[in-house]
Amino acid sequence: MELQGEIEARNQEGLAGKVMGDLHYTKEGVPLLIIGHHILYGKVARLEKPFAVLVKSNSPSSENAMDTGDVTETKYSITALIKRKIIFKTRPKPIITNVPKKV
Amino acid sequence: MNRSGEEVEATLQIAKLNVEDLRSTVQCLTFSETFTSGDYSLMELDDTLCKEIEAGRSLVIRGDKGDHAVLCSQNKTYDLKIADTSNLLLFIPAGKTADLLPADQLPLTIASCEIAGFSNHYWELRRCRPKLKKLKKLLLENPYEGPENEQNTSASLYTTEDLLNQIQASHEELMDHLKFLHACSIKGFWRLLDFDYEMKLLNHITQLMDSESWSFSRVSLKVCLQELRCLEPEEMIEHCLDCFGKRFSEEDEVFFALNEDKICKATAQMLLQNAVKFNLSEFQEVWQQSVPEGMTTRLDQLKGLALVDRTSRPETIFLLKTEDLPEDTQERFNTLFRMREKWTEADMSPYIQDLCAEKQTIGALLTKYARSSLQNGVKVFNSRRPLS
Repeated sequence: MELQGEIEARNQEGLAGKVMGDLHYTKEGVPLLIIGHHILYGKVARLEKPFAVLVKSNSPSSENAMDTGDVTETKYSITALIKRKIIFKTRPKPIITNVPKKV
Repeated sequence: MNRSGEEVEATLQIAKLNVEDLRSTVQCLTFSETFTSGDYSLMELDDTLCKEIEAGRSLVIRGDKGDHAVLCSQNKTYDLKIADTSNLLLFIPAGKTADLLPADQLPLTIASCEIAGFSNHYWELRRCRPKLKKLKKLLLENPYEGPENEQNTSASLYTTEDLLNQIQASHEELMDHLKFLHACSIKGFWRLLDFDYEMKLLNHITQLMDSESWSFSRVSLKVCLQELRCLEPEEMIEHCLDCFGKRFSEEDEVFFALNEDKICKATAQMLLQNAVKFNLSEFQEVWQQSVPEGMTTRLDQLKGLALVDRTSRPETIFLLKTEDLPEDTQERFNTLFRMREKWTEADMSPYIQDLCAEKQTIGALLTKYARSSLQNGVKVFNSRRPLS
């Protein structure tokens, strides 16, 4: 999922374990995301160039052919290939809960 | 922390959205408990690489400490560059698009989806030329000069694996270049033959050819080995035949068709490397006399090896090898323009041909890095920027 801007937790508490929001689809298949008091409308896009998700893992090299001392081999495991994304690139629409009445 | 149906519905109501307009499955997005940004990296792939990964093959990032990292597949090399984006990229492994949702059925179904990580940058790949200049340098640390000169045991030796660890090229590109350099695998180590030694081997073969009155397009491996094994190791004779000829079989016997251009070129290099410059007409005479009977020397055989100076009186020729010029495109042009202010396309082409990227022409390269003008009706190219 691609969002414009940043997501921050209240009071700098960090995002781990927090709910970000609800992802709905309209009957027409348009993705709709509600974050806090914002509504975002997006679309599903196929990635022209897919992304590989890499996770780094360090392991000492089994064979030490060079005489330069410790050679560590860094490995990245490809854990996923991302080919589609939901992108929200329009301005979020605010949800107004408290409309002051005109006098 | 799961949200209940009531909570979701309450949110929709506040948002003034009608449940009836929406699909009945809601994905509630929650950041993972172990959520950090640093655990994942993204790499943008092209179709070819994507297929390689899907087929289970691995990719290798190569380079020494001081090098700019490159990524290699089995046969291609890519520059790795980090690209930042102002957008937030979230990884939602279980996330579903509308077409994957189950059929609608009220009440709302709440599916909990974990956000595993995020990133605001990714690795971008761009196909590049393999960086092979270092290969020759490494192999020249310890050239092979014949079996009698192999006493030095402390000299550096490289296996294919060692070379792959140091050279920024894919396996296939490395192998192609080793072949191009006439490198030879001796006891599992890649060695470059000392040029004089290589010429000595070639000389044995052409002399034998001469004394047996063979055509250079049909040289018998068996007879070569029989006659020459007392002079040089059999593997070396066969290696030399492989470098300068094309192997074929006839009635279970192996023959080689020697390549006229390659032999003329090597002979020219031998003549040229001992002098700074050569008088062109004298050179052409000596050169033709030095090649085996039946072979014809032509100046176009020397593309990328030697350069003719038509402006000097008398006209001269001197050694200038493409492989000794800088690998970087701008530096290559600078070096060439420092050597000679104005170049014709014909003279310059052999020295920039290898710089062309996929589908790029020499013309396009010249447009980008040089400026053209007419000199006595001939189109010439000079540097775009002043050279220090």
